[in-house]
Amino acid sequence: MIREYYRSRVKETSINIINSKIESIRNKNIEKTGLRVYSNGLIGVAGAIGAYSDDELYKEALEALEKKIEYPAPHSSDLAISVDRRTEIISTEKLRDEIDALLSELRERQPDFIYSNKISLTEVGTGISNNDSLCLEYADRVFSVEVIFKEKSSSNVFDGFVGARERKYDRKLILDEFDFFLNGYKEKASLPGKGKYPVVFASEGAPITKFLTDLNADVFAQGGSIFSGKTGQKLFNDAFTFGQNLDPDIMYNTPFFDAEGTVNKDYRFNFIEKGVLKAPYCDKKTAHKYGLTPTGSATASYDGVPQSSPIRLYIERTADNVKRLLGGQLGILAIVYDGGDFTPKGDYATPVQLAFLFDGERIIGRLPEFNMSSNIFEMYGPGYRGTAPCTFLPFSTGDFTVIEMDVSL
Amino acid sequence: MYKFKEGFYTDVRIEDVYETSILYTLGKLDESRVRKYKAAFIRVFDGNLWYYSATSDLDQIQNEIDKLYQNGRPNPDILNHPIVAAFEVHKDTKLQYTGNSVAKTPKSEKENLLKSFFPVLNSHSSIKLWKAIYIDARKIYTIYSSKGTELVFDTQRAGYSLRMSFSAEDKTFNESFQFGSSCFEELQKDTDKLEEYIVKCESFMRNAKSVTPGKYTVILSPLAAGVFAHESFGHKSESDFMVGDETMKKEWALGKKVGSDILSIVDSGQIPGSGYVPYDDEGTAAKETYLIKDGILTGRLHSASTAAALEEGLTGNARAISFEYEPIVRMTTTYIKPGSKTFDELVSEVDDGYLIETIKHGSGLSTFTIAPSLAYRIENGKITDPVNIAVISGTVFETLSEIDGLSDKLELLSFVTGGCGKMEQYPLPVGFGGPYVRVRNMMVQ
Repeated sequence: MIREYYRSRVKETSINIINSKIESIRNKNIEKTGLRVYSNGLIGVAGAIGAYSDDELYKEALEALEKKIEYPAPHSSDLAISVDRRTEIISTEKLRDEIDALLSELRERQPDFIYSNKISLTEVGTGISNNDSLCLEYADRVFSVEVIFKEKSSSNVFDGFVGARERKYDRKLILDEFDFFLNGYKEKASLPGKGKYPVVFASEGAPITKFLTDLNADVFAQGGSIFSGKTGQKLFNDAFTFGQNLDPDIMYNTPFFDAEGTVNKDYRFNFIEKGVLKAPYCDKKTAHKYGLTPTGSATASYDGVPQSSPIRLYIERTADNVKRLLGGQLGILAIVYDGGDFTPKGDYATPVQLAFLFDGERIIGRLPEFNMSSNIFEMYGPGYRGTAPCTFLPFSTGDFTVIEMDVSL
Repeated sequence: MYKFKEGFYTDVRIEDVYETSILYTLGKLDESRVRKYKAAFIRVFDGNLWYYSATSDLDQIQNEIDKLYQNGRPNPDILNHPIVAAFEVHKDTKLQYTGNSVAKTPKSEKENLLKSFFPVLNSHSSIKLWKAIYIDARKIYTIYSSKGTELVFDTQRAGYSLRMSFSAEDKTFNESFQFGSSCFEELQKDTDKLEEYIVKCESFMRNAKSVTPGKYTVILSPLAAGVFAHESFGHKSESDFMVGDETMKKEWALGKKVGSDILSIVDSGQIPGSGYVPYDDEGTAAKETYLIKDGILTGRLHSASTAAALEEGLTGNARAISFEYEPIVRMTTTYIKPGSKTFDELVSEVDDGYLIETIKHGSGLSTFTIAPSLAYRIENGKITDPVNIAVISGTVFETLSEIDGLSDKLELLSFVTGGCGKMEQYPLPVGFGGPYVRVRNMMVQ
């Protein structure tokens, strides 16, 4: 019988900001353990938060086998990799004073705004191991800024968001990044009229929900997806490669393996390659069910059976910088475009609550709210300009994707 | 009991949790989980900063409290601090769900509830994939505070969601059939209703047309109206956004006209369902709060901190999604009060508009949004073709005044899966609802 542990630990100090000042400090140190047993094509899972009795947990997992949850796929084995990306970013003890100083300077440099929400130092540890020589361990530590800003004269609940997640801390660069957005916010700009414009999205937040719903292997294999039966077909732009990337050099606070212990070659699996549909995302069980290749896309709660779910999606870079993708044109840097969605046939529309007129390096000014729309095959087909690393933000890394969208004012 | 140090305000919230999660995919069991745990969230306030700790080790609570004291400075006048003074003190035990606890219902009954729908789901070839989900949760809260609060109370919810992926003739459509309640015994096993719903979805998939983007009159179903109330105005009523913000205080001054005369929006933690919280997560008793009454701004939602900052009364809206988080200002059950028209009257008065029956999600920024699922065209007072709409949107500053019709029946609903999200805290169970609500000049795309 295979006995497999799936463990996660989150140790976090999180500083809450209200009205531009520190309001509270939250410490969290939570460990969750799952024990899975595999026997005769079945899986049993038991879990615990915090301290637990191993014998008790094992007994519960064995009892869970009685539920007869099928798991015919082979478990992961014979692989031992440990990755520890923790660096001393800033000590927990110094964090409060440092954030106090950062906020003080921010209030001085940008006095027209009110700031709130969180700045955190988060350490994660995740491991999966079993009695068939599987031992994968990952540890990381990340400094994150998730600060919303509101112009003091504004009647909105909030006006925008400055977010960053890095394995570093640098007060000056973070303040420079606030300046980048807030100085841009204070300048007003306009578009000449409705029409097609190149829109610059942070790649992690690009409109891809249609891929999430329709590249699910269950939906795809059963014929419920607009992509069903189109494997191998060229559906998108030659330059568009889209998949999952768990490379610890690029993805922070995310293990390089999935919840079943699958480690992809170079940590990547492409669902769409150079515009050609290659595969839907799936875990091992779903892959086994439909004769697909597992894509390392299993997620699980500590006490749950692994399920298919994409992890850390990425769009492959096609250029060195966004300015090159704009090709001398002015573009729209989309920051807040919340609430839009795709229709069943792939039409997309959303209001854009905050966007800037942008030349690829600097913000020209803030645009009034507008609506944008397109279609999934257009956006990542002829309308796809490409993806490039960020070269214009002082602190944040991460990629940006440029897509031509229909804009109506 | 715990030893609380003088010079600090301290409270401890212990959560004793029982949860069930069952998932079938195409009739095969994929998940069957019962989760039981106890854990705690501790808060210490020295009059300047709050210090929080989350722990899953109840034996370490006193130790965690003592560690938090080391971070702050004792304040001899802490009891007179406006926030501390605002806290209600209750000694009460209110266990509503001991007799009909979901923990007492055998798992087989929960599985059988889902299985009762399988024949209907399997009988439609257009349904290519279906998932049947059952979830329940009972939480027993124990709250102690240094002001003397000693509370024990419970909340409970149960529900099912049948997720269906339809496909035929190169067309696809995803929709859910769901029902939520406070108790397992109240969950309806109405297979005829499911059959009817599936037929409606099949027709929708085959016949839905695109829309011409623009501003239209929209009639929102009670489900969509509830989400509309939640997103368009509920989030603006969460007063943590207002603390220290003079512009917002003026913009949202109580007594201001913010909507049409027929509009009243209420939030209440006293209503059974997903938003039922007899006490909030800092021990304030649930209250009914009129956010808007007859178009006039009459109230907003508070924690003790925001109530003290704005010098208003507590409302019982300090909530956290779990023991890992601090309570922040959140909604409970938020709904629009019904009006006087029949549904048919509402429709008959629309020349060119849309009916939104079900939705996928909503968002509540300055421009709020609702992403519809089942939606229909209204032409010359009649419901006609099904339509695919990506999103409807409006601004809170304008839209509430555009409500010109309310039907006469109130329907309250509970989220089964998902819930409300606010920054890092998602999902929070909330209730929502309303009558059919007619709104002019909504942006439809």
